[in-house]
Amino acid sequence: MSHSVLVCDDAIFMRTMISDILAQAGFEIVGEAETGSQAVEKYRQLKPDLVTMDIVMPDMGGIDAVREIVKNDPDAKILMCSAMGQQALVVEAIQAGAKDFVVKPFQPSRVLEAVQRVLG
Amino acid sequence: MDLSQYAELFLAESREHLSACNQLLLEWERRPTAPEPVGGIFRAVHTVKGMAATMGYARVADLAHRMENLLDHLRRGGQAPADDTLQLLFRATDALEKAVDLAVAGREREADTAAVAADLDKATARFTPGETRVEPAFVPEPVLDIGGGGRLIQVTLRAEALIKGGRAMLIIRKAQSLGAVQGISPSPAAFETEDFDGRFVFRLDSTMTPAEIETAVRGVGDVDRVTVGGGPGDEVGEEHVTPAESAGGRSRHIRVDLRRLDTLMDLIGELVTTRGRLNEVAAERKDPAIDDLAIQVSRLSADLQAEIIQARMTPVWQVFDRFPRLVRDVARQLDKQVVFKVEGKEIELDRAILDELGDPLVHLLRNAVDHGIETPAERRKHKKKPEGEIVLSAVRERSSVAISITDDGRGIDRAKVLAKALREGLVDPHTETLSDDQLLRVLARPGFSTAAAVTSVSGRGVGIDVAMTKIRALGGSIEIRTEPGKGTSFILRLPVTLAIVRALIAAVGTERYALPLTYVAETAEFGAIAMTTMEGREAMVLRDRVVPLVHLRSLLSVGGDAPPPRRPVIVLEMGERRTGVVVDGMLGQQEIVVKAFEAPQGTLPVFSGATIMGDGVPALILDAAGLV
Repeated sequence: MSHSVLVCDDAIFMRTMISDILAQAGFEIVGEAETGSQAVEKYRQLKPDLVTMDIVMPDMGGIDAVREIVKNDPDAKILMCSAMGQQALVVEAIQAGAKDFVVKPFQPSRVLEAVQRVLG
Repeated sequence: MDLSQYAELFLAESREHLSACNQLLLEWERRPTAPEPVGGIFRAVHTVKGMAATMGYARVADLAHRMENLLDHLRRGGQAPADDTLQLLFRATDALEKAVDLAVAGREREADTAAVAADLDKATARFTPGETRVEPAFVPEPVLDIGGGGRLIQVTLRAEALIKGGRAMLIIRKAQSLGAVQGISPSPAAFETEDFDGRFVFRLDSTMTPAEIETAVRGVGDVDRVTVGGGPGDEVGEEHVTPAESAGGRSRHIRVDLRRLDTLMDLIGELVTTRGRLNEVAAERKDPAIDDLAIQVSRLSADLQAEIIQARMTPVWQVFDRFPRLVRDVARQLDKQVVFKVEGKEIELDRAILDELGDPLVHLLRNAVDHGIETPAERRKHKKKPEGEIVLSAVRERSSVAISITDDGRGIDRAKVLAKALREGLVDPHTETLSDDQLLRVLARPGFSTAAAVTSVSGRGVGIDVAMTKIRALGGSIEIRTEPGKGTSFILRLPVTLAIVRALIAAVGTERYALPLTYVAETAEFGAIAMTTMEGREAMVLRDRVVPLVHLRSLLSVGGDAPPPRRPVIVLEMGERRTGVVVDGMLGQQEIVVKAFEAPQGTLPVFSGATIMGDGVPALILDAAGLV
């Protein structure tokens, strides 16, 4: 059975790209979120195996979303999507409970490696 | 946890970073609007701070911290630095270097950093008007010596890993899932900065085996190296080091104490001598099995020797890199303008030779700035551009390396040197001009100086004699070329390696002598070639060139039977000069292990060392520089 994924990013471009990378590798994209609060809400509904989470999103940021999700599900498998220069934010996200991170611009192989690690 | 074992590593790395600092400061001075130098300086100082804090060197860390504060403002500001700011940073770099040395020597208390620290704070305060807060002393976190439970884990992330701090944090989280983690260094706060370089240590108290811990850490990804050490009571512990499989064929480096390489070299020296003996025994026994083994041993020891010599090779930039700063400082002090160029930085020399080369080069470079390059006014008067040029270059020549220091200054006034040499009775009273060789010999007389006034920079003419002695001791030579108004060149020739050299073995009477092949150009046959004279000396004509001869037999006062009428001449070459050395016979080429040699009083200055031949009998090594 393929793993289910929730993709959270405010940019359609990024969501599409991540979805494509994961779908081609056999994952099932079960939902998308544009804001942190949507991510929290959809996680509750969909209980996906994996979440990809952008750090900077309007409304509620990715890091706060991680905190919310992990509060309810300590085993949540969240992969942060970050950009160069977001050193401090990435460290904060990991302290909040994110399991791994990838750095934009994405290389599909790096994304899949990280996903494998997260799903262990 | 005993930190002293890390002290040398700390020293070596700090020096590298501080050397980089100096380079970058110079670059910044040249291109004040360039953004790169300040970033690099910041990172270098930051790294030194982190290492010093880890070692518990509070003063070093504190000074680095204050420097870092100022640099942080400068790098954010993006403006060209004021001249006094640059000077302050140069000063601070020097102070930091001194403090590092003292700290490692266990005398950190003697490091006087107060004045420069205060100036750094003052300069930093200019960027934060209104805020006159005094920076609290940076208190290093005691890390490695925390002594707590657990194994010491050292991790290095891949150089190409992105957001290393995030990866480090993931590793810490992973470790926390395996057991109790403490003593993380640098502190996790450092993971959040761009300057975190991907190296960190922590202690993990866990029941897992080193191999399991390593697998777990590697599983997090982007890990280049993991070292899982022993517990605190067990300093060396079961080191568990494995290079990353993914590293493929990339070359990897470790630091090795030079003394280890020296010992290794000595041992291989012994092996080479033993191999020689084995070859002789094999030749006597005429047993094919022994012959085969002797050949194999020969090949293996030759490979081993080549490898170890290669391991000792060090690029000259390791010494050259501090010279731009030196030349700049001397030029500033003397109000001269100098463009300094370095060529052939990547040329390699035996570490032992390179280490000895620093002082002679410092002397010669100071001389070049002080005596060679004219003041800008004087240069303009002679229609030269106001800034003088000094070029330091290294070039590989056959089996030696030539290092030259060339200035485009006023050149050496031969007439003045000659006049002084005549007054002091250093040359034949009928001498009318000085050749380059004679000039060098006069200049190299201890205490000889023609400088009208003794300056603090070049001192009292010492320099060339000191440099000459050092270079000769290394088996090298110095040559000078000078032209009035155009400049002066000093050319230093050095063997590539010291310890083992290929040599021609020559027989004179009942003794054998070794002549390093480095300086052997060719051989000829005395008694079969045309003879002539050159400046009253016996000489031979070799392919239209007149080569003066030295008879080793008479030079060394060897008695005994008359030598054969036809006998070999070994032609030595040093730079442009050649000399033929007449010997009784030639016994072939051999690798010899050079042993330092304390010449007894009154010995001719033609020996550079001694060696033990394959049969265990010692032989003297002839110094080409003393013969040519």
